[in-house]
Amino acid sequence: MDASIIIQIALGGILIGGLYALVAFGLSLIYGVARILNFAHGTLLAVGGVAASGIFAATAWNPLFIMLLLIPVLGIFGYLFYDHLLQPLTKRNHFEYTVGSVLVTVGALLILSDVAAWIAGPAPRNIPLRFEAIEFGDVIVSTTQAWILGGIIVFTVALHLYIKKSWFGRAMRAVTQDHTGATICGVKADKVHALTFAFGSGIVAIAAVLYAMLFPVDPYIGFALTVKAFTIIILGGIGNLVGALIAGIFLGLAEGFTSFFWATQWAPAISIVLLLVILVIFPQGFGRRKST
Amino acid sequence: MSNYRYWLGGAFVLAVLAFIPSTGSAYTTTLLFTMLISYALAQSWDWVGGEAGYINLAHFAFYGIGAYGFCLSLLAGVPIILCFVIAVVATSIIAFIVSFPLFRLRGDYFAFATLALLPLTELLAFNFHFTGGADGVVLPPKYVLFEAYYIAIGLVGLTAITTVWLIRTRFGYALKALRNDEEAAEICGIRIFPAKSKVLILSAAFASIAGALQGWQLSYIDPTTVFGLDVALIPIAMALLGGSGLLWGAVVGVIILSLFNQLLIVSLPILQTAIFGLLLLLIGRYMPGGLLRSAVVRNNKWIGFLGREHDQFVRATVSAPTTDNLPLPKQPVATGEPVLECRNVTMAFGGNVAVDDISLTINAGEIVGLVGTNGSGKTTLFNCISKVFEQKSGEIIFVGQDLAGARRDDASKLGIGRTYQIPRPFSDLTVVENIAMPLMNRGDESASLADSLGLATQFAAYVGLTEHLAARADSLNLQQKKALELARALACRPKLLLVDEVASGLTPMEVRTFVNHIRELRDEYGITIIWVEHIFSALAQVVDRVIVLEQGSIIADGPLADVVKDERVLSTYLGSAATEDA
Repeated sequence: MDASIIIQIALGGILIGGLYALVAFGLSLIYGVARILNFAHGTLLAVGGVAASGIFAATAWNPLFIMLLLIPVLGIFGYLFYDHLLQPLTKRNHFEYTVGSVLVTVGALLILSDVAAWIAGPAPRNIPLRFEAIEFGDVIVSTTQAWILGGIIVFTVALHLYIKKSWFGRAMRAVTQDHTGATICGVKADKVHALTFAFGSGIVAIAAVLYAMLFPVDPYIGFALTVKAFTIIILGGIGNLVGALIAGIFLGLAEGFTSFFWATQWAPAISIVLLLVILVIFPQGFGRRKST
Repeated sequence: MSNYRYWLGGAFVLAVLAFIPSTGSAYTTTLLFTMLISYALAQSWDWVGGEAGYINLAHFAFYGIGAYGFCLSLLAGVPIILCFVIAVVATSIIAFIVSFPLFRLRGDYFAFATLALLPLTELLAFNFHFTGGADGVVLPPKYVLFEAYYIAIGLVGLTAITTVWLIRTRFGYALKALRNDEEAAEICGIRIFPAKSKVLILSAAFASIAGALQGWQLSYIDPTTVFGLDVALIPIAMALLGGSGLLWGAVVGVIILSLFNQLLIVSLPILQTAIFGLLLLLIGRYMPGGLLRSAVVRNNKWIGFLGREHDQFVRATVSAPTTDNLPLPKQPVATGEPVLECRNVTMAFGGNVAVDDISLTINAGEIVGLVGTNGSGKTTLFNCISKVFEQKSGEIIFVGQDLAGARRDDASKLGIGRTYQIPRPFSDLTVVENIAMPLMNRGDESASLADSLGLATQFAAYVGLTEHLAARADSLNLQQKKALELARALACRPKLLLVDEVASGLTPMEVRTFVNHIRELRDEYGITIIWVEHIFSALAQVVDRVIVLEQGSIIADGPLADVVKDERVLSTYLGSAATEDA
């Protein structure tokens, strides 16, 4: 076996894993703060990616510019989505709250993907941007890949610092740890919930453009991404971004090597099986041991 | 309304349904067939969702497995009856296996793990050779609509009967208990894992027959039609639209949503999935409790009965007890024998040692006060004795039996009854049902459901809840909830009763009544009691001795009068005010 092939696959795994981690960041923050599993989270990426590639095909704008355009759009969407559809459910009892939030987010998933498929067509599309290839011996890296990899790392660090240092980051962490306690200390929990939805959805916009630059997207890939993102936050710990990045890269590598050594069609099963196994061994989540 | 009228009504509906195909309209028959299948799916989902409180989003996976099991065996030339058997057995086995990992999870995690099962089954069906991959399974063309329709009527009848049966059985009550509070359910003697596993298998078995029938009727299945996300959630949406946990919920939801779906297919060529998604979203946003729970239905004279909650059915049948004697055997106090021995019991949470190497002996017929500052380990010790926690090290011996490895329900059945400091009643059940729960779950000594409910009224009368027999537990105030806790603990027929701060918050009058109860329980019924309490005046009236805990260790043990003079107790617990009193 040629070592360069292994390196090439590992590189691809790290890239896709980094993108998974970006999706997981938003889901993790949202779940941590609002205790809502947003089933539509990955679909937001699918729809965002389709939109980005559509805009690119029509205007040939710089993807970075498209990204800056999409961030506020998805952010506002996330804010309104929580504020109008999920926040009112918090007044209901626990069972109705859980059921209601599942139905609302699954409903949103179906609407988003179906409407996107109706407008843009169900066919996969991407942002066909060609950069030059850099060769290290037999290993070929496109500058796109290099830029994206660098971008993911810088972004994760920046996000990590933002959540650690900023007022909003502290508010999010406070609400994650103890909702009532944070409210008593003057954090407007409802506001933080909605803003976290906005924040998490905004991150998805970044992931969506990067994803579309590397891989084809179609309106229906969303749910699979949500499952992967959930596996990642269970593996890396809820609210733990660095853990999520490591878990994401691990998942990306696992999928890459499964495709290569075994069979491509089984790669999607990795995340689901991994998720079930982790949930069974650590019912409370890997990074969040049972507290008493 | 009598049972007899229900049966007659049900039989009439099934007879009318059976008559439909002879009118000759294949369209009507197909539509009704779909509705029958949907009802079986929605209602069987609700056994797990509405009754046991677990949101199982993988219900459709069982439907798909049933469809595949049936179609593949039929294709292999197996006789038709046997094909159904294979479908049911295969699905049940899979449900049994997945119940082990799934029921380690709760709430959102359970919902997500089950939802992740759907794409997994879809992927397996796609990738395996024997399932035909993306091509699916095609049966030889044969018109079986009417046969399938009649079997579906049978299935629906069976589903309805099972639903009614669940309401009025101990098994159904076990599910209702665990949907409210699993730990409290175990304390009442219910083995929760088998109950959860059983209900999942039951629901999966019904779903598999539905899948088999649908596959047979369509004569074609492929992975997306039986495992796809958009179709998979339809039955769940139906049950929720009507009202989860209500007798008529699934029926109403199925009728409305099926007709709506039909309308959609006929009138709208595009965006069907989006409209369906919108419907889900609106149900979730505006009535996650269901249509039948809305004020419009509830307050309507004619259809209001459809939205009746479980406790309203109970209300009609509860009558006040003829006697307020406690239905426990009167027995003299058997003094001397040790009832409970703790030997070097240690319990730690991470680095925090809550109970540190405690050894104590409680003799039969004793009333022992357990005191100590907040966080001194009193409740943790209770939790170890009642097996809520398994202690890190040390032995707990109860009437000569080592409790190592015993489950919570074992401890309850052996005769350890306990109350919770913060009451944990089964919120959406009535007072009688709460108290009846341990009575009907005593292993070999279990009383029948009717007897349990009857006896429960006497326990309720003893603690002064006669006025509230049919009230939902969550409508009680704190004192009444504490009284309910005591009644439920007594209904465990305890040899040893662990009372955790029942008196705090009571008026002096109520404290006196409670103290009299404690004394009577020991003197008349021979129950040994450990009482955690901060109110010394209450303890002083009844306890034989007091054990004082501080930071997880025993610092004093003896008669109250001696203990309050102990230097260490005074300095660490009672403070300077007590020194003045003494």
